[in-house]
Formats: sequence, structure tokens, C-alpha cells
Amino acid sequence: MSLSFAKVDVITTYPYLAETVKAVGGDLVRVKALASPKMDPHFIVPKPSLIPQMSRADMLVINGAGLEIGWLPPLLKRAHNPKILPGSIGFVDASQVIDLLDKPVAVSRAYGDVHPEGNPHYALDPHNIVRIAKLVAYKLEAIDPAHRAAYEANLGKFLARWNAFLKSFDEKMGRCKGMKVVQYHELFNYFLKRYGIVSLASIEPLPGIAPSSKHTIELIGLMKKEGVKTILQDVYHEKKTARFIASKIGAQVIVLPHDVGAVEGADTLQSFYEAIAKRLCH
Amino acid sequence: MKKSVVCSLFTAAALFAGSDEVERLKTQMHQQQQMIEKLLHRVDELENRNKKTQEQELNIRIETSGSRSASFAQQAFLPDIALIANMAAVGRNVGNEVYENYKIPGFIGNPGEIPFNPKRGFNLNYGELEISSTVDPYFDVAAALHIEKEGLHIGELFVTTRALPYNLRLKAGKFKSEFGRINPKHQHAWNFSSIPLVFESFFGPGGLGDEGVQIQWNLPTENYWMAGFEAMQGGNGRSFGNTDTNNLFIGYLKSSYDITDTNTLLAGVTYMHGKNPAGNTDIVGADLTLKSFFGSYSALTWQNELLWRDKDGTGKQAGLYSELIYDYNQNWAGGIRYDTLFKNIGNEPDDLERYMVMMQYKPFEFSKLRLQYTYDRSKWIDGERKDIHEILLGLTIEAGAHGAHAF
Repeated sequence: MSLSFAKVDVITTYPYLAETVKAVGGDLVRVKALASPKMDPHFIVPKPSLIPQMSRADMLVINGAGLEIGWLPPLLKRAHNPKILPGSIGFVDASQVIDLLDKPVAVSRAYGDVHPEGNPHYALDPHNIVRIAKLVAYKLEAIDPAHRAAYEANLGKFLARWNAFLKSFDEKMGRCKGMKVVQYHELFNYFLKRYGIVSLASIEPLPGIAPSSKHTIELIGLMKKEGVKTILQDVYHEKKTARFIASKIGAQVIVLPHDVGAVEGADTLQSFYEAIAKRLCH
Repeated sequence: MKKSVVCSLFTAAALFAGSDEVERLKTQMHQQQQMIEKLLHRVDELENRNKKTQEQELNIRIETSGSRSASFAQQAFLPDIALIANMAAVGRNVGNEVYENYKIPGFIGNPGEIPFNPKRGFNLNYGELEISSTVDPYFDVAAALHIEKEGLHIGELFVTTRALPYNLRLKAGKFKSEFGRINPKHQHAWNFSSIPLVFESFFGPGGLGDEGVQIQWNLPTENYWMAGFEAMQGGNGRSFGNTDTNNLFIGYLKSSYDITDTNTLLAGVTYMHGKNPAGNTDIVGADLTLKSFFGSYSALTWQNELLWRDKDGTGKQAGLYSELIYDYNQNWAGGIRYDTLFKNIGNEPDDLERYMVMMQYKPFEFSKLRLQYTYDRSKWIDGERKDIHEILLGLTIEAGAHGAHAF
């Protein structure tokens, strides 16, 4: 692997991680995401075709915080690849460099599908990309020290570009501060919190539990009372409930991407966040 | 730092200012000096206070050290534990005592103890403790312990390697053979409450599990190719049972191909050779699964397996099953299975068939309610064929450590 002609084989669980690795690794890495951005990130189908990619990989980057627990462990076991197992240098858990929100005080499945470490959907905050890029650079340099300087240079270039983007993006998002929304699952909390948008409730009565009519009726009452006119919907859940609520109170349902590639025109990191801004804060 | 600022201010003043200016600057400097002194005093005060708190804290820690040590606490190293329970209410057109002695002519002379749903009425089938952990950087361990009325029974207990090169993995212990599709899975993960007739006939109602070793290799190919080899004791009496030494050898090859992003094909072939008290047993198997996904929670799965056996002392027999499962959403699923023993010995019947249909409701990922109807034309009772109708309402819960979904 220290051979200069071999590329570092990187597997990431989700597309936004693959995009970050591409930015830092450039031509020195070959990177592929396991999950399709059209699917629920909690429930990726562990297709056997994903195994050969994992068997070959020098590095595995995961979102962590429990997001992959329902699908990655059996694949990791079947990959028979010690280079990417926890404890090896090639295992990278990006959640370790993130300040997670919504860490539950008590954990029980009576509260639905709660993540003990906190809300795992931190990819929705564009500022977290900076931390992940730095982590990826550090790990790539450790795995492929011959190209340390190239990774540093790539990281520098990317961070300069990204910080400039963040500056103008934050400014643009200032317009939507104070907006009130309801969301299907607590999927967009990191984005909403970053830009001062208030999420009042979820369509799911508990995380991972399908909507019930009792909860939906309560939600309609709450939205009327609070004057909420916006429902945030992901691409992979049923949209009937959101549309029903919207029709009752004259609100609008906005489908937001949760990852790079989840909706049309969101196929780079930058266009992913811009797509959220455009749909939510136009 | 502070001193050098003062000095440079003074020098600057002396060099560039007139006498009025100098006076003004002097007063200013005096004021600033006073301010600096005040600040220094506050810093000292804070430092002292901080020191005091540190000392107090240390004292408290010294005084309470006897009751706070957790140096021998090991809770953080507890293995992952899941508790699984399976129960069902059953209605059947055959009485319990008669049912216990069913025969499948040519295949099963006496079913022995029926582990799942033997009775009309209520059946608490089993509790299962699934315990797994990483042992050290080199080994993982996993166990499935069945809690039964007579005690704890080892369903599986095996060690797997973590650090072998060349995409190899070794397993040793007691484990379910990983040939085909349904055999490696536990009863609570099957789509219907019983294993297909051909598996029950050849290996018993729990499938083929035995003491032994296994090696699996992922081939370095673009598509998924996995070769597995198992050497086992051969304790399974239905097909083998000669355990004078490790007498059973199983080899299999599995491959998968994505026809499109949402359509996947999975196929495998198996060969096993073992010994029974009357001589040799050879079994050949093949499986084919086609899975189409319509989203994160919806899929159609068509799964088929065929087994053919040549057993000295019995003869050549074969059977297959085909099942179609439709996952409608996260909560609802339904399915049908056709099941047959189509090749039999001598004059024994070769039209032994069973039909099953089920509907399943999962309130959440960790619980499952299943309503299942079975029409069974494979059983002989009191010397003649008895069509069995069975309706079953089952409940399975999986509490504790998160069991990830296998493909």
C-alpha cells in the first residue's frame, strides 16, 4: 500500500462521506459509498454485492452514533478484512469528532429507536464537514504516509473553499431564522439548530414508529395553535401523512435531501446544502 | 508583556510628543498602571481561589476515595446480549397424541420430540439468549443458548477469527452449517414457523448444526463469490450419525449478482459427504434467491432451495421448497411457500406436499406477530395419509442488543 502507484481503497457508508474523502484524497484514493442516498440510512439493504468492495478496502469511514447498527455489522463480519475492523487504523468513525445533539438522558426502547450516543444525523450541518475533512486527512496520512504532503495540500485547498462557502451560506440562511417547522423524523435537527429554525414536533410519535392517527390529530392541533406552515419530509418515508396534515391546515410539505444525491441536483456537498436552503428558505 | 507595553508607550511618548502632550500621556499612563495593578490583584485572587478549590477538591477526593473506587468494575466489557422469545397459539384438525406420532413415509419414521408448536392450544416454544462479544484483537465469540424446561441447551457456541489475511475467516465450535439460505438462520428469523419438509427430513426440525470447524474465503473478484468448507462430527442422526471420528465434510460456493441497483440475484451450490451407520451419505444442494426492492421498506423476495440425498441403507430422495415474501412496509408483510418431497425410495409416495400462507405485522423492529395457515399433505397417521390443516398465531420478540438484518 505504500507503493506509490496503488490507490488507497476507501469505502464509506454514506455518499456525503465519500464526497468528503474525494475532496481530501483526490487522485490518490478510490472511494465508494455503500448506501444509496435514496434509502433510509437506518435500513440499508446489506446486499452481498457490497461485500467484495469491503473485502478489498484499506479504509472504512462510517457515520457512527448508531446509524449503521441495523445493517453494517453483518457485512463487516462477512468482509473478512482485518484492515477495516474497529481497532485497526483503517476504521474511521466520523461521529468521534462531532459534538452530537439530543443525547438522551435515559435510554429505553420504550422511547422508540433512540440512539444512546445522540442524534446521528449530524451530516445535515455543513459546518461538520470541516471536522470530518480534517479527520479523513489525518487517517489518510497515517495509512498512506508517502503522500502526506499531497493530502495536506488537498485539505488546505478544500477547507479554504469550504469556509468561503460556509460564510456566504450562513449569511443566506440568516433570512430564515425563527421559522417554525414540523418534521417527519428528527432528521434535520442539526441544520435547523445551526440556522435558528424551530422544530416543534415530529410526525412520528416516537423515533422509528410509524405515524398514528391519534398523534397526527394532536399534531394538527399544535400546528394550528403555533401557526406552523411548513412540514419537512425526507425522500424515503411515506408522504401521505404529511400531505394529509398539510391539506387540513393549508401548510406546505417540503421534501429535503438528507444526503448527497438524495434529490436531483444535489450531487455534490455544496449543492446538497444549497438544495436544502433553496427548498426551505426561498 | 505588560512591562514592555508600558515601556514602549513611554518611549513613544518621549520621542514624538510636545510637553503638554507628555503631561497628558503621563496621567494616562498613571491611570493605566493603576488599572494593571488592580487586574494583577484580581488575577492573584482568582489564582488563589482556584488553588483553594483544587485543594478542597483533593481533600474531598482523599476523604471519599475509599467508597469510590471502580478499578475492578468490568460492566463496560459486558458482551452484547439479546433475549428472544417465541410463542404461538395453534389450532389443528388432529389431536396432540396422534400428531406426535406422525410419519412421512420413506423420510421420517418417528418425528421424535417436536420442538416448535407441538400442541393444539398454547405453546411457549423457547427462550433464546444470544450473546456475542469481541474476545480480543484476534477472536470474536457468539453463542445462542436455548432456555428449555430441562435447562440450558447450546444451540450454537463458536469462535471466529478477526485477523486472518487474504479475506479468510475461520470458525470453530458448535454452529449451524452455513450452506444454502435457510439453514444458517435461527427459527425466529425464518419466514414461516417451520423449516421446509426436505430440511426437516434430512436434518431435523432445527436444520443441520454440529460441532466442527469452518473456513470461508471471499474470492478477490469484482462480484461476490464466497467459498466455504466445513468439517463436522456428523452427529446429525437423520442423514449421518456415525461419529466414530469427524465424519462429515461440507463444501459450498455462493455468488451474487446485481441485475440492477434494486434487483439482486443470489445463488449457491452445496456438496456434503458423511457417514451413517449403514455406509455413506451424499447430499447435493442448490439455492436461488431473487430480491427486488421498491424502497427502504418494501421488497419482493423469491427464494428456492433443492436438496438431493443418496443415503446407503435408504436410497435416493429429494425435495425442494419455493417461497415468495412481500414486504409491504415496515409493519406489514405476507408470503406463501410451496414445499415438496418429490423423489422417494421404492414404492413410497412421491407426492408429499405442503402449502403455507402467512401474514405478518411488526409493530416495531423488535416484535413480530404472525398469522399462518398450513395445509399439509405429507403426513401419515395410523398408516394412512392424513391431510392436516393448521392455523397459527405466533409472537416473537427480540429484546436487548440490536440484531442486524441479514440479507
